[in-house]
Amino acid sequence: MSEQERDPLTGQLTTGHEWDGIKELRTPIPNWWLITFVVTWVFSIGYLVLYPSFATTKDYARGLLGWSSAKELGQATERARDQQSSWRTQILATPLEKIEANEELRRFAVAGGQAAFNENCAGCHGVGAGGQIGQFPSLIDDDWLWGGKITDIHATIRHGIRDGGDETRLSAMPAFGEILKPQEIAATADFVLSLSDRSRDASRASLPGAALYETNCAACHGAKGEGMRDAGAPRLDDAIWLYGSSREAVIRQIANPKMGQMPAWQSRLDEATIRMLTVYVHTLGGGEK
Amino acid sequence: MATTTVIDTVSQRRPARLPIPQTVRGRYRTIKTAIAWALLAFYFITPWIRWDRGPSLPDQAVLFDLPGRRLFVFGLEFWPQDLPIAVGALVLGAFGLFGATAIAGRVWCGFTCPQTVWTDLFFTVERFCERLFGKGTLLSNIAKPVAQIALAVLTAFGFAAFFNDAPSFPLALVTGTAPLGAYLAIGILSLTTWLFAAYAKERICLHMCPWPRFQAALLDRESLVVTYQRWRGEPRGKKRAPLRPELSDLTALIREASSFDTGRGDCIDCLRCVNVCPTGVDIRDGLQMGCIGCGLCVDACHEVMTRIDRPTGLIRFDVEGSDRAGSFSQAKVQIVRPKTLLYAVLCLLAFGSMAVGITRMESVLLDVEPQRGQPFVQLSDGSVRNDFSFRLAHRLPHLDRVVIRAEGLDGASLRFATEEAGQETVALAMPGNRRISDRLFITAAPGQAPKGRANIRVIVSDAESGATLGEVETYFWGPAR
Repeated sequence: MSEQERDPLTGQLTTGHEWDGIKELRTPIPNWWLITFVVTWVFSIGYLVLYPSFATTKDYARGLLGWSSAKELGQATERARDQQSSWRTQILATPLEKIEANEELRRFAVAGGQAAFNENCAGCHGVGAGGQIGQFPSLIDDDWLWGGKITDIHATIRHGIRDGGDETRLSAMPAFGEILKPQEIAATADFVLSLSDRSRDASRASLPGAALYETNCAACHGAKGEGMRDAGAPRLDDAIWLYGSSREAVIRQIANPKMGQMPAWQSRLDEATIRMLTVYVHTLGGGEK
Repeated sequence: MATTTVIDTVSQRRPARLPIPQTVRGRYRTIKTAIAWALLAFYFITPWIRWDRGPSLPDQAVLFDLPGRRLFVFGLEFWPQDLPIAVGALVLGAFGLFGATAIAGRVWCGFTCPQTVWTDLFFTVERFCERLFGKGTLLSNIAKPVAQIALAVLTAFGFAAFFNDAPSFPLALVTGTAPLGAYLAIGILSLTTWLFAAYAKERICLHMCPWPRFQAALLDRESLVVTYQRWRGEPRGKKRAPLRPELSDLTALIREASSFDTGRGDCIDCLRCVNVCPTGVDIRDGLQMGCIGCGLCVDACHEVMTRIDRPTGLIRFDVEGSDRAGSFSQAKVQIVRPKTLLYAVLCLLAFGSMAVGITRMESVLLDVEPQRGQPFVQLSDGSVRNDFSFRLAHRLPHLDRVVIRAEGLDGASLRFATEEAGQETVALAMPGNRRISDRLFITAAPGQAPKGRANIRVIVSDAESGATLGEVETYFWGPAR
């Protein structure tokens, strides 16, 4: 381009290019557009340097500010904890039995306990704590293996069941398959099944399994099948059968008993969370005073 | 349907116009002032009216309680689910507006639109400052924006007062305890009020507002609009020029015979009608989008015609075709027409539906839903329990205690999570609490549980009066075997 040429008709400069006698007017990009464009470049370079921007095969550029979304989430969680701290302190300071009497405290504990339950306990006990027949006990009914008072529930959650700790809930039922003969086990099972039938209260003693039950089972499960919570021995005179109510299931349980396990949560959850969990479980419908 | 020509004068507005329109006295100015005062009073005073609703509820007569998601209007309380009633109000407003436009043109724009009222108010403030401190002086140049900004902030405060307890609101604002939204709302509204009323003024009407664009469709040949009677106004001339002879001699009114050479029309081109116009249009160009129909030019021309001793009504409210009719007096307004009747019927329908809707509003909202997860719980004594989430909200003036029972299940007992033993009915205290939610347990006695699913009805009644407050149909599940 040698010299600037002006289009006589419009008075605008031309680009100096010519095709078949046609010339193009020079209409540069507006300055505001150019400036905006440059600003976006400056911004993107600044962003590239300050923030995580591109990945390498093994890692990624972390940026000078060291910002990360995981860190931000951690801080947000911390802040939320701080906001709850007055409630949590109150939960810790209030005796367990009195938490439920305080309406506000109860609502906070139930909401927090439900969240903790769904995260930690629902895997076995189910969302809604209905349990699974044959596997894990329901926590919404009124039958408790180790006690349904709020302090009992608290101890069970803290120390677990058959988890190996000093204070864990511990008991074991012998596998009677190695002690009794099959027909003796079947007779015992018939007797056990009769315990929850009120109409057979009088005739039960004449059953062939009565003596076997008296010798082998009554020590833990009680003479009338009323169970013993200190030993985690379930009631046999009620309508709830964790491992099944059929004759086969009862025979199986006598011969080779299943016994549940639960981890001690005190090593995994803080005390305030455990207390909230306790209140949640206790208010599910079966909690005892 | 007859259509009306609306001249677009946005692009041809006169470049030189007064910064503040001149004042004028007259019939329409008086009406406009009266309406403006009434509307401003309504806007600023309403939040301060008190209405006793008892100890636990706000005593503000009109309150938009955003955190509580409810609206109080005197004795009524609206909840979000009452929104269809608001639709009724909007429909009523729309057809009311259409009807008013069909009869009297843009009366909404000219007299009641907030943009008109506040622009008028801001003009008054400017004129007042000029009268007080002199036109163009430093003091008046300072006083004007100060007064206008103060007015804008007051306007924004007036709006926010509808959403807060008005008497305690100013103190809360000053001490910084008011909610953040209040500061934001006041900030934004102050800014927009100031920009719209002090700077944008008629530009809002000319360039932003959709309503003027609808005019061509909503006006018809029977609608009243501001008209310039061209037949007697033209040609314009100086006062001292001789009048067209036939204008004085009414018996020989032959307009076709009139000639431009023989004299001037009634318009003496004093520009008074242009100078008083809040949107700065020249009504003599004919009906146009810039005309908001406020009638101030009618007052101005009335004044001038009286002064030069000519019959008034050169500019007047009249039907659009009146110019061709060539009459000195206004044509009779046809209020009863198919169109206005239709609008009236639609308004009545909307109002009727609203009234029915308000009388049928539920005072008690009851929700009983089965808990998710287990359909039923087997209890140790053989009874079967179903768990429900129970929610109750009410807007009754007074409710202390409710009694809940279930129908459809013999020997069922009810209790809440926090209560001890089950009863046939369960009472729930609601002291000062208008919303309550809890876990409701319904237990069927041993052997009474249905096989599979059974329909039950949960009935809630007022413990004092025994009146049924609400019923919910739901299911009770039992073991299939």
